[in-house]
Amino acid sequence: MKRLGLYLHFPFCMNKCAYCDFYSVVNYDDVERYMDALMLQCEDYATSCEPYAVDTIFLGGGTPTIVPEKQMQALIDCIYENFNVTIDAEVTIEANPATVTLGQLKKYRKSGINRLSIGLQSVCDNELKALSRVHSYEDFEKTFKMARKAGFDNINLDLMYGIPEQTMDSFIKSLETVVELDPEHISLYNLKIEDSTPFGAIRDSLPLPDEDIEFAMYEYAIDYLTRHGYEQYETSNFAKKGYECKHNMKYWTCQEYLGLGTASHSYFRNTRFSFIKDIDSFVSAIEDPDNSDVITDENYTISPRERVGEYIMLSLRLKKGINVTEFKRFCGMDFEKMFEDLLPPYVSNGFMDRTATGYAFTAKGMYVSNYILSSMLDFSSEIDKNIANGKDK
Amino acid sequence: MSDRQKRIRNFSIIAHIDHGKSTLADRLLENTQTLTSREMEEQVLDNMDLERERGITIKARAVNLQYKAEDGETYSLNLIDTPGHVDFNYEVSRSLNACDGALLVVDASQGIEAQTLANAYLAIDADLEIVPVVNKIDLPAADPERVRTEIEDVIGIPAEDCPCISAKTGVNIPDVLKKIVTDVPAPKGDENAPLKCLIFDSYYDSYLGVVVYVRVFDGKLKAGQRIRMMNTGAEFDVIEVGYMAPFGLQKATELAAGEVGYITASIKNVRDTQVGDTITTVENGITEPLPGFKQALPMVYSGIYPEDGAKYDDLRDALEKLQLNDASLMFEPETSAALGFGFRCGFLGLLHMEIIQERLEREFNLDIITTAPSVIYKITKTDGEVLYIDNPTNYPDQGEIAEAAEPMVKASIITPVDYVGGIMDLCQDRRGIFHDMKYLDSTRTELHYELPLNEIVYDFFDALKSRSRGYASLDYELIGHKPSKLVKLDILLNGEIVDALSFIVHTDKAYGRGRKIAEKLKENIPRQLFEVPVQAAIGGKVIARETVKALRKDVLAKCYGGDITRKKKLLEKQKEGKKKMRKLGSVEVTPEAFMAVLKLDE
Repeated sequence: MKRLGLYLHFPFCMNKCAYCDFYSVVNYDDVERYMDALMLQCEDYATSCEPYAVDTIFLGGGTPTIVPEKQMQALIDCIYENFNVTIDAEVTIEANPATVTLGQLKKYRKSGINRLSIGLQSVCDNELKALSRVHSYEDFEKTFKMARKAGFDNINLDLMYGIPEQTMDSFIKSLETVVELDPEHISLYNLKIEDSTPFGAIRDSLPLPDEDIEFAMYEYAIDYLTRHGYEQYETSNFAKKGYECKHNMKYWTCQEYLGLGTASHSYFRNTRFSFIKDIDSFVSAIEDPDNSDVITDENYTISPRERVGEYIMLSLRLKKGINVTEFKRFCGMDFEKMFEDLLPPYVSNGFMDRTATGYAFTAKGMYVSNYILSSMLDFSSEIDKNIANGKDK
Repeated sequence: MSDRQKRIRNFSIIAHIDHGKSTLADRLLENTQTLTSREMEEQVLDNMDLERERGITIKARAVNLQYKAEDGETYSLNLIDTPGHVDFNYEVSRSLNACDGALLVVDASQGIEAQTLANAYLAIDADLEIVPVVNKIDLPAADPERVRTEIEDVIGIPAEDCPCISAKTGVNIPDVLKKIVTDVPAPKGDENAPLKCLIFDSYYDSYLGVVVYVRVFDGKLKAGQRIRMMNTGAEFDVIEVGYMAPFGLQKATELAAGEVGYITASIKNVRDTQVGDTITTVENGITEPLPGFKQALPMVYSGIYPEDGAKYDDLRDALEKLQLNDASLMFEPETSAALGFGFRCGFLGLLHMEIIQERLEREFNLDIITTAPSVIYKITKTDGEVLYIDNPTNYPDQGEIAEAAEPMVKASIITPVDYVGGIMDLCQDRRGIFHDMKYLDSTRTELHYELPLNEIVYDFFDALKSRSRGYASLDYELIGHKPSKLVKLDILLNGEIVDALSFIVHTDKAYGRGRKIAEKLKENIPRQLFEVPVQAAIGGKVIARETVKALRKDVLAKCYGGDITRKKKLLEKQKEGKKKMRKLGSVEVTPEAFMAVLKLDE
């Protein structure tokens, strides 16, 4: 049986963080209607997913924990009814500190959710405030301890570097504090200032750490976390052995995943598609089958050439990089020959390593990977053309 | 005067920029019903896109209007348009020489400005009858009375009953037509004398060959005649003559003394029909050509390269096509280590260069890179050999040079007195030698300077305009080479000389310019994977250094919820940006870098 990852999007938040450009709203009026729509969508995809075994489920957001327990339980039941969920499936829910109760966590655990991902970002309250997070470090610590108490033995913490007001010392403090708590998985994201966010509007006046310091933080973190038992397996992800996030790994290894809900993304049956970023239009389209053609935003089939490009782009996000033998098996091409002009200087200048099996970015190379990938790959105008074609249909 | 001549008027319209020259031309066309307003395309005379955008006329144009006057007679009015930039002053003077009168258009709110005056003097020099016209009376700030008085006081021509019009709204346009008939003198000239014609413009047509615009002064021009271009010596058989109707050429049996029209003669190259040349018949021709002819010689040279090396042949074809219509454009192949195969091109001035550049890009869809413009230096080597250098790459080693000389111009600048201080500072800064200053009236002065051409080809005109709020006007003529202290300044990227960025500069300016160029280049070199030193050097000696820091961070931290499309789009956008970059050795540079180093004053 083919494997499939399932993602469900919950576009509700207590407040919008000033850096976040993902789709969510702070108004909960539509939660119930939205949850009903999600369940309808699960039913819609039940047939096409029959040949698949769902081995990862990711409840992401937004803030999924905002959804009332009962409705969440109904949704989870609905998922199990409509999809072939494997017995050992990895089921993750994202949570924000101070938005969950012990009772809630216990119920989650009981319903089959076995992985918790908590957005901490920093242990310094001034930095949390700068990011307009609604919680303090103390709130987080309580939530973390509750989660352990509720039986979660696979917990991820999100950390961030490049935060306004952050210093090398404060970052080290965050790392040390977090490692002390001993989670199974740590995601370490670099704060990116997006134009469409409140931060984007005040970009130049933000007291951001210098780029060189940011890179030093990244290098420090890789070294520190590795020494403390967390292996870096992807650009931004570190885990204890065996605790790599199976769901996210699907993204990097070109495995199929189905995203349900507004603003979710899918790679399903060789097609990449996403649903529109608007709760109301999304729900209306689900409720009224006559409107179903307006539900997709992007929708395009991946050409063989594009698939090769994606494979390279995504594999190189992984610490182990690209395996040239597997690459050859995947597309019949010789990776080293394709990039014979580019690879030697990347290796000699310390941007890539020639590993036993192929090529992988060094920390320095990973840090400028967009620049390097845009030299190596050319997705040309194929993407837009395909999207346009998808919309015509 | 023949009856025919009595009903001909040859005139041009002269004005300060933006005073409404082209709009008035349109209205005249419309009012003589040569064109109905529905057929009118805005500003018919400026029919290059570029001209319309810049609001200037680049090439002279001419059109024949049939005007039925109140006396019942139909007059043949020949409107000869003139270019409006110092690069083309010679063309302006030739066009004016083809006329008998000129409409001097003055803005009713702004009054007389520098170019009004400069153009009025050109017209007076050409012995033209000047007919003042006050335009834009529809503007709230219009003060036609004050402007009339100003015309009388400053230029010294009567303006009591001059037409006050709005070319924009069409008010009083008929008055202008009446004035043309009453005030512009009818042409003189003897139809039976030997042929004497002035060439004031020409263009290449793929069916007809070169179409030559002429003013006949004496004699008659008709098909079958064997003619000679007196300065170039080229001879041709006339195939067709006629008038320039608004919608195209209109064949006629002959062009007689006093008339303006065109001839075709299977001429393959505009070089044979140079503006200002005199045409006569081979048999019984005149011996003395009309005065004032000058060979159009390039004063500024630069390299033009295709951004994409594979487009070299396209670029050559495009230049050949442009040259068909532009006798002053010269080009020959050259190669650059940095830019590959391209052409060394000669231009009349910087505007001419910019125009050619833009036409190559727009009309021929070519992406090109232009190197820093250079003038022609005269180098006497220690072994006595004399070299004329228009390409810094060919500049000899300092040790081999006995004397270096640079071209000088005599510049005349007319400006309102308020700006004299700033302009004198500018000329001083550009190594100008002050000659004299004359008051034209209580508010205007004329300054005379001797200036090195290489100081004015870059951005002098722009600087002059900005220091005088657009009021000052410039005219210059070449007066030959003068010994000077020159050095070749090299630019090094990542330790390698980029030949296309080298230029020749006066010793006193080398340090400042080297530093500014290094700064400018730094802005135009995106961060790349390694650090890029940018150096300016004379001989082997580095005089300025900047560093483009290595790219530190360019990573997408998160592919949220499997949104792979976003990452692909991001890479794609980056790829697009990279494709535009020019690779110099191992360094990627924006194509703008080559132009940015020219404009150092901003």
